Amino acid sequence: MVSLKSHPPIDPTLPTWLADLQQSGVAALADLSMPSAKQEEWRYVDLRFDIGSFDLATSGVPSALDVPFRSARGALAITDGAMGELVSDLPNGVVFGSARNTTEPCVSGKFGSGVPADRDVFAAIHRAFAGDGAFLHISSGTAVEEPFTVEISATRSGTVSLPHLTVVVEDNVEASAIVYFASHEEVDAVVLSQLEVSIGKNSHFKLTVVQQWGDKTRAIADVFYTLDDNATGTFTEIGLGGVYSRVRFDADLIGNGSHMEIIGAYFGDRDQVLDYRYFLDHVGVGTTSNIFLKGAVEDDAESVFTGLIRIEEGAQKTNAHQTNRNLILSDGASAQSVPNLEILANDVRCGHGSTMGPLDKDQRYYLMSRGLDKAQADRLQVKGFFEEALVKVPHGNIRDELRLAVNKKFVAAQSEGRV
Amino acid sequence: MSLALSVRSLEAKIGDLLILKGVDLEVPAGEVHVLMGPNGSGKSTLCHVLTGKDDYQATGTILVDGIDISGMPVDERARAGVFQAFQYPVQIGGVLLEELLDEMAEASPDPAAFRARTTAAVESLNMEHFMNRSVNDELSGGEKKRSEMLQLAAVQPKIAVLDEIDSGLDIDAVREVAELVEELRSPDLGVLLITHYSRILRYMKPDRVHVMIDGRVVKSGGVEVAEELESSGYDALRKSLGAEPVAEEDDFLAGL
Ligand SMILES: Nc1ncnc2c1ncn2[C@@H]1O[C@H](COP(=O)(O)OP(=O)(O)O)[C@@H](O)[C@H]1O
Ligand SMILES: [Mg+2]
Repeated sequence: MVSLKSHPPIDPTLPTWLADLQQSGVAALADLSMPSAKQEEWRYVDLRFDIGSFDLATSGVPSALDVPFRSARGALAITDGAMGELVSDLPNGVVFGSARNTTEPCVSGKFGSGVPADRDVFAAIHRAFAGDGAFLHISSGTAVEEPFTVEISATRSGTVSLPHLTVVVEDNVEASAIVYFASHEEVDAVVLSQLEVSIGKNSHFKLTVVQQWGDKTRAIADVFYTLDDNATGTFTEIGLGGVYSRVRFDADLIGNGSHMEIIGAYFGDRDQVLDYRYFLDHVGVGTTSNIFLKGAVEDDAESVFTGLIRIEEGAQKTNAHQTNRNLILSDGASAQSVPNLEILANDVRCGHGSTMGPLDKDQRYYLMSRGLDKAQADRLQVKGFFEEALVKVPHGNIRDELRLAVNKKFVAAQSEGRV
Repeated sequence: MSLALSVRSLEAKIGDLLILKGVDLEVPAGEVHVLMGPNGSGKSTLCHVLTGKDDYQATGTILVDGIDISGMPVDERARAGVFQAFQYPVQIGGVLLEELLDEMAEASPDPAAFRARTTAAVESLNMEHFMNRSVNDELSGGEKKRSEMLQLAAVQPKIAVLDEIDSGLDIDAVREVAELVEELRSPDLGVLLITHYSRILRYMKPDRVHVMIDGRVVKSGGVEVAEELESSGYDALRKSLGAEPVAEEDDFLAGL
């Protein structure tokens, strides 16, 4: 075990770029402590843990958890931050494997580029201690139908792990990836992950995160997209598990005509806190973005959505929309929904909608008039509520599993009398 | 002959507003009855009170096939044999008609028989392409009514209450709905069809026509009741009953 309090000497076998990154992390770490709800980016949440009381996970044994690999097209496991072996072959034009060991030169400019080390203590820890990560590089003109898969898991209580995925997509590429986050129920661990996606001209890359952390796991995922001219990025997150799970998402729409599509569905039960912070920076001309999130909370669960769309001075003809709909299933549950705009250009179209409320009474009446009992009617309503988001999940073949997972949570809440 | 529906001294209010002021009505099994009445007379309220909507405080008795359903919640009434085809069926985004019918089958006493009826009705109503669309979502007025009729055929209730099943439809759709109602006729089903136009009666043969005014059924008889209404209007009926004529809403608005 390595304590987070003192950084060991930097491993001399690291490539220089990675050693430099660690060095900058160590410097940032010196000035940082746990964030408080007084800081804007941490408003509405009470973290209730101290990262200093966890040790760094080391020499994790890569092992497939009970989340099976779904892909035939390259699958990688990261267990307690440690990289496993690649399963299956890769198509031409694709490099997928360890960032530390890759010979692809662009890794040095991309790995760690999305999250400043001094953003918060978690970013600093990640920068200072992460010694490797998955690196996916897709060359120009490559189209890959099936998603690449990364299974990220935590197995050891009391540890912090630092999974990292860097995706570099060149021009005219069509590809996608699914990241599964999972841990067993009793694993009291902290997972600080970073997922970076850089998309070249006229390319479309879709990243889907299926978050199924165990009940005791705390997870903070920093996600970063940067988009070149006419690039399209799709990011989907299905938030199901974790006692505390945060996604901090930043996208830089640098290229003219670039587009960012964000889809989300999350369901907080019992004392879960699900925390979403979206920051989109429209820089190029004619860029568009669309955020569509549906969330439910029950019992004492809390959810947070904040969305900040910033439209830079030169970003004329921007079109940006945010929608966040929340289902509050119990009196003790709460949701925050705070869409925001910062507009420096004058020829733009922006819109946002937030809703919050219990299950619809008229729908319940209609369904019960068809003979469904209240529990059955409620289940169907919840299904319908999430369907609007789940039907947009890019990978059609995982939708049924996600529907089942959502239904299972709601049925558990019903059978334990919480809703 | 058994009664599909028997309503006695039914009163219903919302807050302090008394809407149904003592409704008496009987629909024998095997018959199709029509309930007419001006806007605001309480027809939809009657439908919702029969269905068990909890916005209303109701007193009186409601027997369905001889069983008192008045204390029952909405779903129990449905299982006891009440079916309402809604005037404005609510849209349920993300729930396919197929899924709804599947849940309805699960909730029914004989799921296999329910599914068989569903399959038959989907075919005879030619509604295969509706099955994987969301319930009442992005459907035209006529399509919504057909979806309600499909559910009715699948449920096989004791009493079907069809609230303004003909409103908002073009003349071909009205005829189609009327023919569907005639096709559904069966010795075990009573139908109460609510309308405020008599045009649907051109395409069907109701056994009896009732008229509701101001929260009461004031007249019942054969098809001739509807014909009289068509020629002389509700005001004439009000007068003949000794009541003051009430300004229709439109006249009231015109006077403003
Ligand atoms: N939920 C309600 N709240 C207040 N008033 C209502 C409500 N439902 C019905 N009413 C009133 O009761 C009367 C009868 O309405 P309704 O049953 O809809 O009539 P109809 O269907 O015959 O047109 C109307 O005056 C209407 O305004
Ligand atoms: Mg009405």
